[in-house]
Amino acid sequence: MRFSLNFIKEFLRVDVSAQQLARLLTMAGMEVECFQRQAQDWIFDIEVTSNRYDWLSMVGIAREIAACMGKKIKVTYPTVIRRPVLGERNIVIEDLGDCPFYIGRSIKNVKVTTSQHWLKERLLRSGINSINNIVDITNYCMLKWGNPLHAFDEDKLEGNIYIRRAKKGEVFIGIDAKERQLERENLVIADEKKVIAIAGVMGAKNTEVDENTKNIFLEAAIFSPLTVRRSRRRVGVDTESSYRFERRVNPDYIEYASYEAHKLIAREARAAFAGYRRAGRKPLLKKKKITVSLPKLNSYLGVDFSKTQVKKALRSLGFKIGKFSKEKTVLHPPLFRFDIQREVDVYEEVVRLLGYEKIIARLPFLNSEVRAAALYEFKKELRSLLAMLGLKEVITYSIEAEKDFADLGEHNWVKILNPLRAQENVLRPSLLLGMMKGIRYNLNRNQKNLFFFEIANVYCKEKDHFSELPKLSLGASGAPESIFYLKGVLEHILGYFHIENFEFREQSVGNFTNALKIIIQGKEVGFLGKLDENVRKAFDLKEDIFFSALDITLLKSAQKEKLYEPFSSYPVIWRDISIAFHKSRSFKEARQIIKTQAGEYLLDLQIIDVYKGKDIPSDSFAFTLRIFYQSQKKTLTSEEVDCLHNAIRKKLKDEEGMILR
Amino acid sequence: MEEKLKNLEEEFNAEYQRVVTFKEVECLKVKYLGRKSQLNRLFTQLPTLAGEERGMWGRRLNSLKVKITSLLEEKLKRIDHKEQRVDLTFPSTPLQRGRCHILSTVNEKICSIFENLGFVVIEGKEVEDEWHNFAALNIPLEHPSRDVFDTFYLDLETHNKGKNRTRHLLRSHTSPSQIRVMRQRRPPLAVISPGRVYRPDEVDASHSFMFHQIEGFAVGEDINFSHLKGVLLYFARSFFSPDVHLRFRPHFFPFTEPSAEVDISCIICRGHSRKKSDNKLKVSGQQQRKCSVCKGKGWLEILGCGMIHPKVLAMCGIDFSKYRGFAFGMGVDRIAMLKYGIDDIRLFYENDTRFLEQF
Repeated sequence: MRFSLNFIKEFLRVDVSAQQLARLLTMAGMEVECFQRQAQDWIFDIEVTSNRYDWLSMVGIAREIAACMGKKIKVTYPTVIRRPVLGERNIVIEDLGDCPFYIGRSIKNVKVTTSQHWLKERLLRSGINSINNIVDITNYCMLKWGNPLHAFDEDKLEGNIYIRRAKKGEVFIGIDAKERQLERENLVIADEKKVIAIAGVMGAKNTEVDENTKNIFLEAAIFSPLTVRRSRRRVGVDTESSYRFERRVNPDYIEYASYEAHKLIAREARAAFAGYRRAGRKPLLKKKKITVSLPKLNSYLGVDFSKTQVKKALRSLGFKIGKFSKEKTVLHPPLFRFDIQREVDVYEEVVRLLGYEKIIARLPFLNSEVRAAALYEFKKELRSLLAMLGLKEVITYSIEAEKDFADLGEHNWVKILNPLRAQENVLRPSLLLGMMKGIRYNLNRNQKNLFFFEIANVYCKEKDHFSELPKLSLGASGAPESIFYLKGVLEHILGYFHIENFEFREQSVGNFTNALKIIIQGKEVGFLGKLDENVRKAFDLKEDIFFSALDITLLKSAQKEKLYEPFSSYPVIWRDISIAFHKSRSFKEARQIIKTQAGEYLLDLQIIDVYKGKDIPSDSFAFTLRIFYQSQKKTLTSEEVDCLHNAIRKKLKDEEGMILR
Repeated sequence: MEEKLKNLEEEFNAEYQRVVTFKEVECLKVKYLGRKSQLNRLFTQLPTLAGEERGMWGRRLNSLKVKITSLLEEKLKRIDHKEQRVDLTFPSTPLQRGRCHILSTVNEKICSIFENLGFVVIEGKEVEDEWHNFAALNIPLEHPSRDVFDTFYLDLETHNKGKNRTRHLLRSHTSPSQIRVMRQRRPPLAVISPGRVYRPDEVDASHSFMFHQIEGFAVGEDINFSHLKGVLLYFARSFFSPDVHLRFRPHFFPFTEPSAEVDISCIICRGHSRKKSDNKLKVSGQQQRKCSVCKGKGWLEILGCGMIHPKVLAMCGIDFSKYRGFAFGMGVDRIAMLKYGIDDIRLFYENDTRFLEQF
């Protein structure tokens, strides 16, 4: 909301600088977003929170400023003249729930011109464009009192005025020249033949005031805030008028606004008053009673305000104060303050006027009956572990395009009913797409060797329920470019959480080649694999991607407490075997043989070298394996180890497709 | 055998005299003692010899090995140590640098500050229903106070005991976790709840349809507004800097009363530009330069807070005549941007490694 300080000065003497005023208002809850000088005036932009409809008028703003400065405003409330009665037409309200009160004034022989300078200036400095003297006067009165008005060209009206719901399919062309189809949801003003306004939202082109207008029908009304809100949302507009009606308008000012507009039109457009008619009944503002106690107020805020301070603050705000006793004081908030309903509302009024800075900061002793979410700690640990292993954490969007998931063969997702764009219209069922996009973004910028992880939820819709599951995803591209890097990271994770009974099981996974499922005690916890070549190309990824996804909840439940295990203090002896495997054989088989042969003496196996020389056939894989031997009970002699080792060599040599070199 | 041994020794002695550098000694070591050395080959021939011979040659081979070893070691000791010096200005071995995302780091940092005060971390749900996201927070479904909470609705419907239709949405703030905890647990409570939130905002440098918030609240018999101030001041001084100031401004939120918006003194200009503009200081007629972060205001808005509205407590089944509470909510993205001078929110979600590895 924009206001000009000169306009405010009509109601109040402001003897502080604009800077001081801005700070004063901001600290009292009327946040001044910016203020600037314009000629001999200051223009303020304030934020009007949804509870303070009264700040949408100059009188309301002036009253608030006065309260902050401990002053009173001077407003001349006109003595409203309601005669003669308008005989030409009747006003019929279909439903008083939609429109409890409606006033029409007929003004004859107007001269429509451009507005005088003072009027233009008032409007422009409040951010409203000048149209002509008639429209400008209605806007001026809306600015001053907060009650929107509308002027119709009376000669274009046919018969009575009806305030009714629109019929489905009725067409409306507004003063913005746009055509709209109306629905039952729209409350309209109509005459016998046509719709002449969407009530409280916008007037129609067909009865707009223009330079040929001679006679005016001036509307002032109270419309239901909810009706106006639904109606203007239905037609997709938000006007100065609907903005005010939605937040309620002050029924006590409606007659003033209407009458003052009529008087101004008479003065500025040299017109004559022809009649007044109203329908419905002006809503009465109910007097409210709130009982507060000073000690409670002080203990709620943690302050020590005195009786005098509190009384002074409440009086400035227009509260009527009953007998003030220490324990119980009856208060009557000002009638126009619909937002003050209970004690806490009074507390806020008092403290914002006395200043929030009066509250001293104290640290409480906090006690909580809840226990921390274990999963949060687990995720935190996982995150720091992965960062230590050299991976970078990414955060990708939970909302993605349906099309992309369809391309990935996913089928279970939750749609967004009101997406901003088609690129973001479903909740993701997996973290794969986000990871691919993160890697693609970097590859396209020549960033290589990417090792990423993400910890986030995926969302799945099942038959009769919905789940939100925390997942871990790992993505790798570049050197060391192999699935074994990810396998190593996963082994590290499992080892870190002391999960021992796990298995990497070769099993196909959609969109991946060379996939392994991670099985912990019979349960599938996740998988890893190389992104299928076709998928990679379809998503425009320039390099191979290795990906893994794990269910964090399952991972956490497999986590074990570790107890100390004594380790052998006897020496470790190692021996190497250089070996070549035909691709029909697997390392797992060799490991089994070695395990069986070495039994309890086997400590560890390591690949120390891989040969890629010309002499190795293309269907074979050659490497050097280092076997570590150790006993828990004694020092193994060289001979004992040789004996074990030779037995292993012999066994391996006898296997088809394994060649010792 | 005899001859081979002799030749070998002579050959070694001759070469031994010539070597000077560290590297040469190493080469010599490989040549005469390595796996493929002649000496090793002679060792492998041992098993072919008869018993006594084998013993004798074994000993001789061994003594030669010992001799060569000790000579080489002696030589090594005499070599000028400067020989071993390496160029230390050479670049280090590249290591993969891992990092937590800056938003995670900031999030964890903030949570842990509150944990120190006795708050407990509880994560809420991202998919919420209208009741938890709005109604329970005293935000009527069709009311202007809802306008600031544009929301993504989901194609998900459940039925309450087969009767009422529940509309699901992506939470537009973390406050629903407050409701969930308060309905499940009895006071006293002190909870901090971080997470992703969503609003249909067009993406630009300062808007994103997905961002992060942290909600905190405490409920107890003696909780009051000054505690809220104390807790937030402790947070701001721990997180930003010990000399930071806080400013509480009255504001309106449907779920708190009294409510406040909280500003910190600008961490970039420390409020200097505010003081200047207040006094309208103009240096030789020139427009003074405003701080680009706080736009010369000297204050930066960081969060919203207030005393939990009695209606909200009542909706959670908490007796508001006995218990009171405070609550606050802050945007993690915004706070991270302020603290680290990040000028575009999109950087968080593009995941450019050049951004990720900076923090």
